[in-house]
Amino acid sequence: MKQPSKTMVLAALVPLCALIFGVVITSFFIMLTGVSPFSAFRVLISGAFGTSGKVWPLLITLGQATPLILTGLAAMYSFRVGIFCIAQEGQYVFGAIVAAWLGVALSLPPWLHILVVMAASMIAGGIYGLIPAFLKVKLGVNEIISSIMLNSIAVLVLEYMVAFPLRADQGQKAQSAVLSRDIWLPQFVQGSRWGISFIIAISLAVFAYFHIWKTPKGYELRMVGQAKRFARYGGIKADPTILKTLFLSGMIAGLAGSMEILGNYHRIMTGFSSGLGFDGLSVALLGQSHPFGVVIVAILLSGIRQGAQLGLQISLQVPRELGGVLIAMVILFIAAENVYRPLLDKLYDIINNRLTLIKRKHNVKEVDHV
Amino acid sequence: MEHAVTFNAISKYFASTQVQANRDVSFSIRRGEIHAICGENGAGKSTLMNILFGITKPDSGTIEVNGKEQDFQAPYDAIEAGIGMVHQHFKVVNSFTVTKNILLGIERGKLGFIDSKAERTFVEQLSEKYSLPINPDQIAGTLPVGLLQRVEILKMLARDVSILILDEPTAVLTPQEVTPFLATLRELAKAGQTILFISHKLQEVLDVADRVTVMKKGKVVGTKETKETSLRELATMMVGREVVFTVEKSESKPKNVVLSVQNLSVVNPLGVKVLSNVSFSIRSGEIYGLAGVSGNGQEALVSAISGLDKAFEGQILLDGNNVTSFDVLKRKELGMSHVPEDRINVGLNLQTSIRENAIMGFQRKKPFKKRVFLDPMVCVEHTEQIIENYQVAGAHANGEVGKLSGGNMQKIVLGRELASHPRLLIVNQPTRGLDVGSIEFVHRMLIKQRDEGVAILLVSVELEEIMSLSDRIGVLCAGKLQGELAGQDMNENNIGILMVGGTLDEAAK
Repeated sequence: MKQPSKTMVLAALVPLCALIFGVVITSFFIMLTGVSPFSAFRVLISGAFGTSGKVWPLLITLGQATPLILTGLAAMYSFRVGIFCIAQEGQYVFGAIVAAWLGVALSLPPWLHILVVMAASMIAGGIYGLIPAFLKVKLGVNEIISSIMLNSIAVLVLEYMVAFPLRADQGQKAQSAVLSRDIWLPQFVQGSRWGISFIIAISLAVFAYFHIWKTPKGYELRMVGQAKRFARYGGIKADPTILKTLFLSGMIAGLAGSMEILGNYHRIMTGFSSGLGFDGLSVALLGQSHPFGVVIVAILLSGIRQGAQLGLQISLQVPRELGGVLIAMVILFIAAENVYRPLLDKLYDIINNRLTLIKRKHNVKEVDHV
Repeated sequence: MEHAVTFNAISKYFASTQVQANRDVSFSIRRGEIHAICGENGAGKSTLMNILFGITKPDSGTIEVNGKEQDFQAPYDAIEAGIGMVHQHFKVVNSFTVTKNILLGIERGKLGFIDSKAERTFVEQLSEKYSLPINPDQIAGTLPVGLLQRVEILKMLARDVSILILDEPTAVLTPQEVTPFLATLRELAKAGQTILFISHKLQEVLDVADRVTVMKKGKVVGTKETKETSLRELATMMVGREVVFTVEKSESKPKNVVLSVQNLSVVNPLGVKVLSNVSFSIRSGEIYGLAGVSGNGQEALVSAISGLDKAFEGQILLDGNNVTSFDVLKRKELGMSHVPEDRINVGLNLQTSIRENAIMGFQRKKPFKKRVFLDPMVCVEHTEQIIENYQVAGAHANGEVGKLSGGNMQKIVLGRELASHPRLLIVNQPTRGLDVGSIEFVHRMLIKQRDEGVAILLVSVELEEIMSLSDRIGVLCAGKLQGELAGQDMNENNIGILMVGGTLDEAAK
């Protein structure tokens, strides 16, 4: 049997420990509200992943996780190539703006219309990803700063677009016209937001896994991200690799924005993004920059949010912000992994040694029998 | 005459790299003299200076400064005792002015406010006293290297030191800057400073120092008055006579020319010509050894040939094809392989598995690439083969490469580079930091490749290695090919003379 490597085990253990620590500390805060932490977490879990009622909470969670998975994958690609680009928010918003605009402006057969809108959003997001990438490789501009600025620009452009060019009516709220029902992306269960876009997100995660770990291109992008000098020595050109990868990353975030418009909101309004792009960043970090980690963490985070709202707030009258506290704690403990990682490391070695000892004894016994 | 510094039987062993950096080092430095310390790379010069400056603690032995035994815990203690050190890599705050840099940590002022005027006057006086002219208001980041070094020296002088340690001060300077710098050293000595400087440029040492101590493999070979010694004697002392490794090899049977370098010049990002007008050629079935003290253009030459850096002038021909404008990948495809000097950061990616390291350069080739995917079976087989052929003990394809010993890492690099059956193999310091067994293995491998018709460019600062493996030798000095040797002429004396910038006529004397 193939044994999982130590790095893999630790990669899974660290988020798990962070989650446990987060739960313990949040329990303390929940106790302050006078509610038993056990019942609170039970309610939180059933509010997040329950399978009862007309629309299962689990499905709502999966629906909410969809854009988070995509922005998480986008951030992951950026990290994998060694660039800390955090423009996912901007790319997400731009993808959404383009979708809301072309969704109304074009008149095509529905299936073609959807494809054109999605492609255009992806290109818009991709180009938005190229800006910090170009600044980085050509001028050495710090990608963190440029992408933060780009996020602000995107949000302001959104405000302008919905207030003027895309504005549907002179009503109170600045928002665009509703898209024709023909190009709405289908939802599997009405009111759950869980639909075709979830399938696309999961497929993209699988694609990303194969792309990054099983293809020459993915190999090259990882080498550029991990050891630039090694890659250069091996003949891999870092700059084109970075540009291509960040374009791809932007495309994924742009698609997230597009599918939110087509499948969920059906129009765009001020304050459209509730920080989903930024959350993608945390998702990628917590998910250890691994596509499957991203999927799991995205679902977990959406679940905590959903559970805090549906469970804590509605059934227990505990402020739903405690869900935010839990998420923040988990992030904090992931960030502080260096504090307890050596302990886990040692623990792993000890357990591993014990296991091999036991195995050896076992083998010896078998030999005796022979 | 009283001694400024006396080393008494200093020993230091680095467990992490298993190097005995200093072994029973004892010698004295007179007050007010310029004392040079020479030796090959890894002779233990820098370690000794770090011990004197309190950066490293010796395992045994004592240091006396001005007749008093000292036990420095940190550089701060050394400065307190009047010892200052200027490192090879400057430690200046680029955005500060010269004055602020010099007085960093010892600011002049009252009640927590800096008195800029007093600071400026102080620096002016200091620079006048030691005749080290500098503009106190200039921003450090805008200064050329030579002046930055002056700032570093003034920084130490501002702390009232009387003993100055300079770690390879001329290595960073251009030839035009060296002469005034040496004059500065003499001025400083006249002003009462004791100067200790590390160098492996022997001519410089003879020009400026009063006495010179030669170190080799952590031990002191001897201390000489510069008036009573010669370039030749110092070179012999530095290189030593013992040849540890004798490699069995047959007479080479060189065939057609594989690599031809014509009038190659390289300019570094700072605009300094680090390689000028170098021409040589290597034939199939021949090992061409490139000797020289490190930092004399080897890095630039290797980078230019392998395609990592652009050539400024000249041509590089591989099997008759002009590859001067080709990138690394194209040169690889034409049969060029390269074992880099820095195997940890350049030759390997320590964050990943042996397999991923072993397939670098093969990822786009068949059968590794199967449609759009990497064939995992082929990659593993390829890696297992390297592990087997090169006897990398205890390794498996998915193991971490960072867990391997230096020797085994080098075997992985060599195995990968030879797996493409190159026409030209460039090896840069192939045995640095390896244990005796691995060195032997690498040497045998190189000879075997030569016999199979590969042209090999062997770059090494280890003279013994160069001499035991090479069929012909070129010597680089200050970016120029100082001379080429073959047959009977390939001896330590000749190489030593060429290495320090002498000529073959001089060697014949």
